[in-house]
Amino acid sequence: MKKILNISFVCSALILLAASCSKTELDVKNPNTLTEDVFWKTESDAQKGLNAAYAMFYKPGLWSRWIYFRLDLTSDEGFSNSPWIELADWTRFQYINYNFWEGNNITWRDTYKAVFRLNQILANVGEIPFADPAVKERLIAEAKFLRGLHYYYAGLMWENIPLVLEPSKPDDLPLQNTLAEVWAQVEKDWKEAVPALSVSYGAADVGRPTKGAVQGYLARLYMQQRKWTEAKTALDYFFTGEGQGQYALMANYKDNFTHLLENNTESVFEIQFSDVNKGGDGDGVNQTMSTNRPQFFAPRGIGWSDGQARYWVVNEFKKEATAAGGIDPRLRYTLFYPALEADFGDKIYGRSWEWGAQEAWYRKYSRDYFRNNEDYFAQNNFRMLRYADILLMYAEVLNELGQTGDAYQYVDMVRERVGMHPLATAFPAIGTDKDLFRNRLKVERVLELCGESVRWADLKRWGDLETQAGVDLIKQRDPDFNNFQVGKHIRLPLPQIEVENNTNLTQNPMY
Amino acid sequence: MKIRLLPKVAALCVLLITCVAVYAQKSIRGKVHSSDGKPVSGASIVVKSTGTTITTDNDGVFTAQLAAGDVLTISHVGFKSKEVVVGSGDLLDIELLAGSEELQQVVVVGYGTQRKKDLTGAISVVNPDDLKKRQATTVAEAMQGLASGVYVRASGRPGSEANIQIRGIKNLSNTNPLYVIDGLIATANRDFNPNDIESIQILKDASAAAIYGSRAANGVIIITTKRGRQGPMKMEISAKSSAQIMPRFDLAGRDEFVTLNNMAYDNAGKPHQQHELDNNTDWQDETYRTGLMHDINASFSGGGTNSSYMVSANYFGNKGTVISTDFNRLSLRVNSQGSKGIFSIGENIAISNAEEDLMSGNPVADVVRLLPTIPVRDSRNPGGYGYGHEARARTFGTNPIAIADLEDRTQQNLRIRGNIWAELKFRPWLKYRANVGIDASNDHYKYLRKEGNWTLNQPYDPSIANENMARSMSKQIDNTLTFNKEFGLHKVNLVVGQTYQSDRYEQIWGTKRNMLPNPLGGGYYSTLDQGNEPQTGGFINESVIMSYLGRLEYNYDDRYLFNAVLRRDGTSRLGMQNRWGNFPSVSAAWRISREQFFNVSWISDLKLRASYGTLGSSNIGNWDYLAVINTFSTIAMGSNQAILPGATQVRLVNQDLGWEKLVQKNFGFDAELFNNRLSVSAEYFDATTSDVLTTMPIALTTGNDGGNPVVNAATIRNRGFEFSATYKEQRENFGYNVGLNLTTLKNEVKELGYGRNNIYVGNTVTEIGQPLGMFFVLETDGIFQNQAEITSYVNKDGVIIQPNAQPGDIRFKDNNGDGQITNSDKAVVANPWPKYEVGLNLGANWKSFEFTMNWFGSFGSTVYNGYRSLVDRFDDNSNYRSGVKPWTPDNPNTSFPRALYASTLNSRGDTDRWLESGNFFRMKYVGISYNLPSSLLGKIGFNSAQISVSGQNLITITKFTGLDPEFNNASIYERGVAGFQYPNVKMVSLGLAVGF
Repeated sequence: MKKILNISFVCSALILLAASCSKTELDVKNPNTLTEDVFWKTESDAQKGLNAAYAMFYKPGLWSRWIYFRLDLTSDEGFSNSPWIELADWTRFQYINYNFWEGNNITWRDTYKAVFRLNQILANVGEIPFADPAVKERLIAEAKFLRGLHYYYAGLMWENIPLVLEPSKPDDLPLQNTLAEVWAQVEKDWKEAVPALSVSYGAADVGRPTKGAVQGYLARLYMQQRKWTEAKTALDYFFTGEGQGQYALMANYKDNFTHLLENNTESVFEIQFSDVNKGGDGDGVNQTMSTNRPQFFAPRGIGWSDGQARYWVVNEFKKEATAAGGIDPRLRYTLFYPALEADFGDKIYGRSWEWGAQEAWYRKYSRDYFRNNEDYFAQNNFRMLRYADILLMYAEVLNELGQTGDAYQYVDMVRERVGMHPLATAFPAIGTDKDLFRNRLKVERVLELCGESVRWADLKRWGDLETQAGVDLIKQRDPDFNNFQVGKHIRLPLPQIEVENNTNLTQNPMY
Repeated sequence: MKIRLLPKVAALCVLLITCVAVYAQKSIRGKVHSSDGKPVSGASIVVKSTGTTITTDNDGVFTAQLAAGDVLTISHVGFKSKEVVVGSGDLLDIELLAGSEELQQVVVVGYGTQRKKDLTGAISVVNPDDLKKRQATTVAEAMQGLASGVYVRASGRPGSEANIQIRGIKNLSNTNPLYVIDGLIATANRDFNPNDIESIQILKDASAAAIYGSRAANGVIIITTKRGRQGPMKMEISAKSSAQIMPRFDLAGRDEFVTLNNMAYDNAGKPHQQHELDNNTDWQDETYRTGLMHDINASFSGGGTNSSYMVSANYFGNKGTVISTDFNRLSLRVNSQGSKGIFSIGENIAISNAEEDLMSGNPVADVVRLLPTIPVRDSRNPGGYGYGHEARARTFGTNPIAIADLEDRTQQNLRIRGNIWAELKFRPWLKYRANVGIDASNDHYKYLRKEGNWTLNQPYDPSIANENMARSMSKQIDNTLTFNKEFGLHKVNLVVGQTYQSDRYEQIWGTKRNMLPNPLGGGYYSTLDQGNEPQTGGFINESVIMSYLGRLEYNYDDRYLFNAVLRRDGTSRLGMQNRWGNFPSVSAAWRISREQFFNVSWISDLKLRASYGTLGSSNIGNWDYLAVINTFSTIAMGSNQAILPGATQVRLVNQDLGWEKLVQKNFGFDAELFNNRLSVSAEYFDATTSDVLTTMPIALTTGNDGGNPVVNAATIRNRGFEFSATYKEQRENFGYNVGLNLTTLKNEVKELGYGRNNIYVGNTVTEIGQPLGMFFVLETDGIFQNQAEITSYVNKDGVIIQPNAQPGDIRFKDNNGDGQITNSDKAVVANPWPKYEVGLNLGANWKSFEFTMNWFGSFGSTVYNGYRSLVDRFDDNSNYRSGVKPWTPDNPNTSFPRALYASTLNSRGDTDRWLESGNFFRMKYVGISYNLPSSLLGKIGFNSAQISVSGQNLITITKFTGLDPEFNNASIYERGVAGFQYPNVKMVSLGLAVGF
């Protein structure tokens, strides 16, 4: 009997404890991280939110990998001979599957992923009290600069994109905007960003956008619209404005592409890559802060060899000797090419030339200056905008405004650094002929900026992609343009899945 | 808190196990045989006075301590029950008459049992003997073709778990059913020893599964493990060894490869590769080997009048058919129970330790991607292994021997699961039962990457070691009260109860790079104290589910049967406002054969059934309704590149997530015909799942990442017909049985989330009004034989549709007539779902021999042959199929287009060129066994001994040209896409089983 009592006790205890499982038991808190409703309350939250937006530079759809395929390889400067045919097709206007992830959707998605992070900041930071209001203003200005930057590149690539300016909800189906509307929004963000940003920063903040970075990009934006007067006003910042004396060309051209002299006086804006983390490119712990570009562009047998330079660039370098009669030293640091060892004594990742006689590979941003292989963790900061480009942009703007004579000095500064004769000496026939000057400038820009992701914007700005005659000229340099249809391939197709899921979107013309 | 009581109860339990009482009476030996004198083994003998049960051995013999006057009830499947009174002698000879008592069989239905004949819902009972004949890692894999309505796809990779789905895909996330093992909710995964199974039932319709409410939308598999029976200790030992053979591709050798490869380069106008003709590697020979499987099981069991025990130990080992793959499991189970007065208590506990040497890369694809001209070892490469080379052999395939050596992955799981239960029988008709269970596991994963390369252009990696350790713990508490009483012809059974389950998983991990090399014999010290650049992490997952349940069964004269179930579930996984859901069901049956008016001599039993019910599901992540902040991003900033932390919302959520609901109707009948020799049952069901919880794709412009947010979105309908029939006949020395089951299934998407009309995944589209994952590709239309055909292939406006084509290229259909071949020419061309699947099970016995053969067939599906889409494409280098003859001007009469390197013209993956019929009919099992005669057994002291020889997957009839038509693609949208899944292997086994 006693036993039965004991047993009954055990059982009733079980019943009791089961009954004690009240409904609050279902309220299981997530022990892993903050919930959204407790975030965006403090200055530190705002700062972390902004940092997370900067981290978008490290994502593969953007500046750690695939965007170089759009900006460098699609242009006449580069091409792809990748064994991954679809990947190569997407650098030669053979867009078959508009959902090709690596060619299209990931860059689109990562652009809007960055925009979502920036919209969270811009929507939430206003309410957060800051000890120093200037810090808050600068933070908002940085966010606006970054949002404008992502929309600027998206505008260059797809043109007719939706502008998302508020934090996203799962069922959002935004309206489509015209390129003019996109440019207007970018201009608005950047103009609003300028006042709160500094001319330069102390050591801790080097790498954040300065007034100069925004003015330089504003100039690019105006130039794409051929608004030369506005572009000149923006660029005046560097020559007659606050930015005067802030920037100078580095004595050694090569110092613009290594991890050894980053954020130098020539740098106007650069992405801060680091090899500290060796993790993946998702949103997990230890996520990478590196660029994979050299692994993807390194020659066959060393890297994935998915992208390389057209050989005409080598020829272009060799057309003009330095004042001392040598080979343009920029060739040495821009490309790996068959005669590199003969011309300058440099091996390629420790190897002698073993590739095609008419082949060239990008040396810029490669790391063969200190190692014989590549990996996914390159730490070289990518110079988005450097002073040499500002000088060439200024020259272009002045020329377009009819001030060709004034433009020479800026081209000459770029040429002089690498020991080239002044432009007027080397090419006396140009004189003050606006068209001849522009044509020469097109070459000057290749020689200085090849592999720096500006060529696609250049071709669009110059109108070379708008006429069949223009395209026919480019074809001679890059047979990929045999596939180029005027009116169609000047912009990418929108990801097909976006057009299907969002009935507000119309696919780009002719796709 | 909830578990603090557990040790006390467990201690009590252990005490009970050790106190096995035996009462001494007269020892009586009996023999049970059929009218033809054949011994009836496994017959159960119930002593009426005490209620104890004894079972006959393989010779139909039993011994028991009995007193004169005891009444015994003897019963066995296929025979009529019989009562015998024990007389003065000590030998009993009992003859059973043939006749089906199958319907007396008791079926476990969740929180109780029912007689099979009283079932009103759709429940399949799988014969565990059939299942155990097959050699398999998991129960699911062994179950294929043995029950209707159950779709199983497995693979031959050691330690792999089969994919199982009951009555179609009812949602878009997870198709695995709920497993209940001895009342404990736990998966019968590879940690579970199938030898321990006593019975398996599959609850298929809503009324049957409703008692598990929200857990049961994918069906329920209830497993009961063996327990001891009264009598002296019985020992059973069995050992089975199998050889496994990997199916192989018929690939080109070196010379054929070089000829074809040169042809592809010639057609592309490219110089030939500099083939290294010294090599002639057969990558399949290098990578595959004969696999071995060993399954050794020992159990001992017994019991007294008030208690019983069963202990089993098992070793299961599988050396894989791919090098460096291996799986080993040791498991132990103790089941015991005892009773005193109105109280009884019992426990089931299983401990297993599984170790797996995991496969690296995908060797099944790599043996195809690597070329015969590449050597296995090549000292010119870092690490010393051969792989692609830009000039000599351009391929990005992975050398499987290299990766097997350079990447070591192992997984170990130590798992303890068990429950203890206690029952109080206050009155014969009123019973209270408490059940407390845990399912705990310690998991340890180790990874070591050694320095060296396995593929062309591989980025440099130093040596890397990664480890994670995880612990999972699931706790379950059930309380049920059962009322069971007969009032004349009325029988009433009422169960009410309450259950609680919590799950917790936690993991920590660490990674180091540049591990310390071991100067002796190569290799590394891979413990995480070594190396540098440390990374660590860890996380916790937690959830709770609470439920209240009730079931009423009413039976009038075994003629009218009625069953109603209500379950109320609350889960922590859903939005605050939607956590509780009610899941009711009703079912009824009419045993028409018991009506007075029913007088059909050849029908002994006929029952009509109907049911209607609602089930639910919340099978999603633990906090999918909660917007969280991702704090893992970091950036470099400042001239010293200081590392700063970031935080932001990355994944969007829908906060108002609610229950996914499944409404299912079922109509069926069960019949026993021709003197119970033929049993037939058939079902029709119609199930609609609405508010399906799924990660429906949202616009990329939301910037969402980390997985699409979960949403209550789609509606999916499944309808099907299931039929099974068994015919049995036993004559003097010879008996046979034939079982046939047939399943048809029609799946239809009724609604997709966010107002969507379709979902595109790979080469499939899922559209409203259509089945899931239909093939959506370009249509081919033969081959251009000459330039004239190309120029005359124009649309209505005269535009040449394929101006870049050359003779020998594929002609595609310009379905939209715009004069070019684009994505908008794609069409829905085929259905990946079988029209019907068939299981055919044959058995025969003659004297001491028994023969079994199971066939399984699947018909009417179209599948995508990923293998052929790789070997036949020619634009990128891989090995080719032996014997292919691409189009050439001299070989125009072929459907195989010209070989062309570096062009997608003929090699596009998104065309119907790669679609094939998925029909197959496969002999899943064939086996013969021989039971040693008792005359011989007596001499060696055994009660039984059996030798068996069997084979699995030995014969497959199919036109499919891939490795295995019975492949398993985990993506529900791409079930019909045969990629390079590890195939089912052929197996030959030898088994020995003895009992004493």
